[in-house]
Amino acid sequence: MNAGSMYGWLDWQSVMPLFIVAGTAVVILLADLVMRKANGFVPLALGFTGLIAAAVVAGRSYGLARDAFDGGFILGGFAVVLQEIVLVSAVFSIALFQAARRPERMGGIVALVLWATSGAMLMAGAANLMTVFLGLELLSLALYCLCALAERPTSRESGLKYLILSSTASGFLLFGMAMLFGATGSVTLAALATPAATATPLYWLGGGLFLIGLAFKLSLVPFHVWSPDVYEGAPLPITAYMSVVTKAGTLAVFARFAYAASAGGAAPALLMPLFVIAGISMIAGNLGMLAQTDMKRLLAYSGIAQIGYVVAALAGGSALGVRYAIYYLVAYMLMNLGAFAVVAICSPTNAEEGARIESFHGLAGRRPLLAAAMTFFLLALAGFPPTAGFLGKILILSTNVSAGYAWLAALLIAGTAISLYAYFKVIRLMYDRHVKAYHGEFARLPLAYLTVAICAVLIVVMTFYPLTPSNVLPVVK
Amino acid sequence: MSLLLILLPIVAGCALFLVPRTDRIVSRVTGCVIAAITFFLPLLLRGDGTFAARWLSRPFTAALHWSCGGMALWLVILLALCTFCAVLATDMAQTRTMVALLLLLEGTMMGVFMARDVLAFALFWDLMLIPPFFALVGWGGHRETAWRYLLYNFSGGLLLLLATAAFGVLQGSTDVIGTAHQVSGAWAPWIFAGFAIAFAVKTPLFPLHTWMPATYADTPPAMISIVSSVQSKAGLFGFLIIGLPFFAGAMEQWKWIFIIAGLVSLLYGAYIALAQTDAKRIVAYSSLSHLGLIVLAIFSQNPIAIRGAFVYIVAHALFSAALFLILGYVETREDTRSLARLGGLGKVNPKLAGAFTIAALAALGLPGLAGFVGELVILAGVFQNGYFWPALIALVPIVFASAYMLRLLQDIFNGPERTNLPQRRDLTWVEGLAVAPLLAALVVLGVYPHAVLAAASVIGGAR
Repeated sequence: MNAGSMYGWLDWQSVMPLFIVAGTAVVILLADLVMRKANGFVPLALGFTGLIAAAVVAGRSYGLARDAFDGGFILGGFAVVLQEIVLVSAVFSIALFQAARRPERMGGIVALVLWATSGAMLMAGAANLMTVFLGLELLSLALYCLCALAERPTSRESGLKYLILSSTASGFLLFGMAMLFGATGSVTLAALATPAATATPLYWLGGGLFLIGLAFKLSLVPFHVWSPDVYEGAPLPITAYMSVVTKAGTLAVFARFAYAASAGGAAPALLMPLFVIAGISMIAGNLGMLAQTDMKRLLAYSGIAQIGYVVAALAGGSALGVRYAIYYLVAYMLMNLGAFAVVAICSPTNAEEGARIESFHGLAGRRPLLAAAMTFFLLALAGFPPTAGFLGKILILSTNVSAGYAWLAALLIAGTAISLYAYFKVIRLMYDRHVKAYHGEFARLPLAYLTVAICAVLIVVMTFYPLTPSNVLPVVK
Repeated sequence: MSLLLILLPIVAGCALFLVPRTDRIVSRVTGCVIAAITFFLPLLLRGDGTFAARWLSRPFTAALHWSCGGMALWLVILLALCTFCAVLATDMAQTRTMVALLLLLEGTMMGVFMARDVLAFALFWDLMLIPPFFALVGWGGHRETAWRYLLYNFSGGLLLLLATAAFGVLQGSTDVIGTAHQVSGAWAPWIFAGFAIAFAVKTPLFPLHTWMPATYADTPPAMISIVSSVQSKAGLFGFLIIGLPFFAGAMEQWKWIFIIAGLVSLLYGAYIALAQTDAKRIVAYSSLSHLGLIVLAIFSQNPIAIRGAFVYIVAHALFSAALFLILGYVETREDTRSLARLGGLGKVNPKLAGAFTIAALAALGLPGLAGFVGELVILAGVFQNGYFWPALIALVPIVFASAYMLRLLQDIFNGPERTNLPQRRDLTWVEGLAVAPLLAALVVLGVYPHAVLAAASVIGGAR
């Protein structure tokens, strides 16, 4: 505890971004009550304001080391960057909601998204097992409701599936936490670093269960089966949101766990299975993409592989690895949200329905710019220049090679080679003159167009000005 | 200036998409003007127009570094010339889109040839593979061809990426092209293998060539004239600027694999070219054969042979671009490329026949044209280093080359005339203008090869 001691046990500054986001959600619900006529615009505007305010406030803590809840929550460097990623993803995702349709539901939706966001923000800075679980459940509970929101049977199925499978994973996580507590006698992640603790079988069992829980939330193969189904059924903006935010939040926890445990010396052996399944995810996720006919499922499988790349960056436990993982995560956020924004615009009826690949047939002839943007995002996901996906892959490859994980680098290349076919299948459909053009309508989503433009520009800028944040070790103390 | 050479075609190519889709005039004029500017700019401005900006400082230093001097200068003006001719020869459905793709191809390849940084090289390497894919999607007849092109070339590109990352980690910097510093260590041969596979796919080299015949046959002539003539040289150029200065040891270690692959390409390409009936495929396989000779020259690591290789790179680019453009003209006139159905075109198209004859004679290595100089110098160099049998075997396909080139000439332009020809007109002046510079350059370099040999001696010295 440092500057915050004058407030007693809670450093208000460190949790202020969290409170802003959660508080905005309450304000939105109240505003919904007060307003006489349902209006989709007000909740969206309030949501944007809250998220951006939180981003600004959180940004001021970069370079500091604040903590709250007796060291259970740490804000600074790493946590700030992860919180910004989560907040920006939330902004871009709710921009995809079509305000004009069913305006009476917008208040609830935006409020739930904000609560989910505050959960992910809590995970970004969580330094003990209690806050980890609190953040994870806050995120998950809000997402169960959001997944089931669309008026289709698949949406309810999606929500239910997510609820059941995710709860099981939470069970693993919680059981693992209990064992870790038994082994170390403390709920803090810092305690994991004490060498005495690592000697017990309880530590290994608990750590293993804990990592299985995380692997599920990251949807790494073989714990990935839920994600394509859930992504397909959920409303499109929620799919976009989940594809980045749950992964960013969980990745923050994983990085903190990995770097805390590393200090104890036991980490490489404990973490090795996770790097192995990250490698498997790169292959299996990309293979899974090949057979898909739904864009959301395709992007779900793509996300499985992409997060495998991010996890691979952490192998070796170097400080540079964290920076490159964050770099690639930001790149992934921009490519993925950009692609989802295009999908939202091109979805047959509107942004809340499914998104068949057919709706991209002959897109280049009807909307050349939109097709060009989609091509750009898919090329970025495939790792083509001049995009951040290209440079991110170079950075990850080089950390893997220098840390002695050349096999992960080889798997990354093999996985990417497979993914080329899947990404280019969509690109070819958009440009192929033999394919009969699909005549669906386009959603009127001005904010989505803005998202597409911002993401595309940032992806190029990131390539030539690769700012990898320094000072971002996921500290536990 | 080097940045301008890269960005000008790319920006112009993107801007062309704003022109109406049906346009034929504006896009071609723009394309020609841009290509002409990129041709004259490096010649008129003194100095090598270096552009350098810091890019990465960790995990290895990398710079956005391009420079247009020595060998790169020759390839740049060669590329600009071929682009000029290809744009001029473009007259097809969706001319605007094709010209835009040609300009994008030119800009991205400029980035490859002028790169002074391995990472920048890899960046533009991947980029230059994209326009031909779109050409195959937009104009190609067979869906499979585009996939085969894509999977072969982009997998090569990914290996290049991995090799670049490993190279950077080992050397500490990728901003090294133009210097020479042998990479040592147990990993060096494997890093070289990553580069070499990417280069061998692009060249192509047996047995990684199977994407090539279908792609060359299926891509529209304007695009393929650049791909076969200049883009295929990117791989050979890679051996010269990355292989020799950094991996001479690994190249020595694995030279027999490449020398044998080169010889097999030489013989196999020539043999298949004799048997094919599709005119474009004949030229495609002849390309495989000719480039095998260059690979042989590079891996002999003899300074004279490497000089010859560079001359032959330029010569092959000129005659292969001319051959593909002229076969494109034949196809628009006759609606077929099959030797079984063509015949007697020379009678009504004397200028077309004349142009083809010059290009074909250069391809079969007639003295006085550029192809001969390259072959002679290569064989002399290879022989000098004691590779007696490879040099002897390499002589055989040169005889084959006369056979298949003369067969092309005979079957398309001589012999009995076909009745019911769809269209009869000789070369228009625009079509003629599109191949004239290439043919003129073949003659000039055949008579005065010293200009190119002098540029190539710089590489010899850099080793």
